[in-house]
Amino acid sequence: MSESQLIVETAERIFADHCPPEVVQGAEEGRYPSALETTLVESGLNGIGLPDSGTAWPELFEVLRVAGRYAAPLPLYERLIAQALLGREAAGLGLGVWQDGRVSVAWPEQHEQVLLVDAAAERGAIVATGALDLQPGHSIAGEPLATGSAAAPDELAVTGVGDILALGRVAQMCGALERVLELAIGYTSEREQFGRTLSKFQAIQHSLAVLAAEVAAAQRATDAAIAGCDPLPRWTDVAVAKVRVGEAAGVCAESAHQAHGAMGFTQEHRLHHFTRRLWAWRDDAGAEGEWAARLGAEIVANGADNLWSFVTSHA
Amino acid sequence: MLQFQQIRLPEQAEALRGEVREFLREAYPAGRRRNSDFTSGHDPAFSAALGAQGWLGMTWPSEYGGAARTFFERYVVTEEILAAGAPVSAHWIADRQSGPLLLRYGSEAQRRKYLPGIIKGESYFSIGMSEPNSGSDLASVRTMAKPVDGGWAINGTKLWSTDAHRNHYMIALVRTEPPGDNRHAGMSQFIIDLRRDEGITVRPIRNMSGSEDFNEVVFQDYFVTPDDMVGEPGNGWTQVTSELSYERSGPERFLSAFRILVELARCLEGGSSAAQAELGKLVANLITLRRMSISVAGMLENGDSPSVEAALVKELGNNYEKLVPEVARLALPVVQRSPDLTAALTDTLLLSPSFTLRGGTREILRGVIARGLGLR
Repeated sequence: MSESQLIVETAERIFADHCPPEVVQGAEEGRYPSALETTLVESGLNGIGLPDSGTAWPELFEVLRVAGRYAAPLPLYERLIAQALLGREAAGLGLGVWQDGRVSVAWPEQHEQVLLVDAAAERGAIVATGALDLQPGHSIAGEPLATGSAAAPDELAVTGVGDILALGRVAQMCGALERVLELAIGYTSEREQFGRTLSKFQAIQHSLAVLAAEVAAAQRATDAAIAGCDPLPRWTDVAVAKVRVGEAAGVCAESAHQAHGAMGFTQEHRLHHFTRRLWAWRDDAGAEGEWAARLGAEIVANGADNLWSFVTSHA
Repeated sequence: MLQFQQIRLPEQAEALRGEVREFLREAYPAGRRRNSDFTSGHDPAFSAALGAQGWLGMTWPSEYGGAARTFFERYVVTEEILAAGAPVSAHWIADRQSGPLLLRYGSEAQRRKYLPGIIKGESYFSIGMSEPNSGSDLASVRTMAKPVDGGWAINGTKLWSTDAHRNHYMIALVRTEPPGDNRHAGMSQFIIDLRRDEGITVRPIRNMSGSEDFNEVVFQDYFVTPDDMVGEPGNGWTQVTSELSYERSGPERFLSAFRILVELARCLEGGSSAAQAELGKLVANLITLRRMSISVAGMLENGDSPSVEAALVKELGNNYEKLVPEVARLALPVVQRSPDLTAALTDTLLLSPSFTLRGGTREILRGVIARGLGLR
């Protein structure tokens, strides 16, 4: 087994044991998953992607994919990325995103300091969270998200940060999509209506076939973007993945909810742990339209007669 | 759960790409590019030129004249030819599925008789599966081969046989026993000589775009011998379903609308960011579909039978081919469409109803995927 597979298995085991639906629901109700956090630190997973760890960006993204599969309600994305961008251990450092004078910080109360990054300029700075002018709030997924304004961070270079932020979200979305499909298959195979399980209705079968096709496309786009890291992600692969996985997120959330009926609309059912995160993550680090515009501009600039070569150079 | 492994085309296959592009520049110069639909363009001269390059039957063993190359190399050749809009219809079925079927189930004598001609690009095959009263329900075929002295007499009608009026042979699925309790039993496959005068009538059916591609083929006491039977008697259903992984996952399942993308890109030079974003979305989908299709080619190369994954590529790919003209037409004002974009939109739209019908309808494919998910 490769080092990378071993890490994924370790992560899978930790989240399966320490991030059951009750923990995610507990976080919804304001109980921070400290035990999960402690386990992640003790396992060494919090050092993934650091120099001398034997791991790099691909392993970091794979761990985020597992975290997405469990809707892990803690700032793993923010911490792993902030630390790996700095290239040194920085326990407790959070992440803030700066764009056009506006700033957003996820899980602000968990971090005394954040690495504030400007994806367009590929510049960053470590700032005290308290020194930022932030209003508390929550994302559509219910996770703490403070927003405000700040001066552009300009102390250090953070090369490729925009692609990294996007691919991190892509990886999480891919994990959540895998779970959404699994939940939809499981629910429709158990729930009986009109004397048979929902899964026996052709209308349901066809709807789940489309859901499965979307998830398969999302997985393939994600795998390719992660495999293409050298050592940083290739921006066009990230664009393809952010667009395709973002599209799948909308389609799959819609159809999984339809398959789950009113049950899936309750707070009690765990489906929303994943669908709400899909709705949040698809807008983070640039929604599909923004990445599609960059990709389209690149293709046009490249020349129409080179379009096919552009396609084949993304194997 | 479904598995699309992260597979890249090996360097050996990529090395072929330049060679194919060079060949296409010579054999099929720019300026007369047509749509990338695999049914548009029946050109024996082009097929023979491909055969001369060693690019037909290229994965088949050398003892029959094949090049014994990998599925990946075949993939590169087929996608390059399609993307260029070259006329592939003549050799398409023979190279994609009739030859592989004969290699897998045919007799030694049949392989020696038919494969060299396919490899040279001189021998063309059609599919004989559907019938007037069995559209997607293939097990309901009624064409019957009745034992007679020295062989069988075939009676019945095959429908939607693409290019049967131009090709040399058809591999027909017929009943060799009357239908019983097991509706998949009692069917066999025969090689039919489409150019024979007696016992067979081939009638082209004009499609809505005005062209004549598919046909009705009527058999009246058409005589076949045991030498014409492919595989074992009664094994027809198994053989037919084995063809489908080859038939459903290739680049022809998502490239039919490719010409639109090229012409749209040309029209969008200096275009708005919103319009370019529409192009970007379409290309992101295309790149992802191609990667999935290459994963299936990898599974075929490993000797697997990825029927569910193939159905999934076709389902996504056909929907995509239909989406492309719908998105492209709204990406810019009508007056800004170039003549080439208009032509590509027209050609694609007129064929688009067939995308989710040919090679397995959307409804059949979703059923195959649902079975793969364990729902039925």
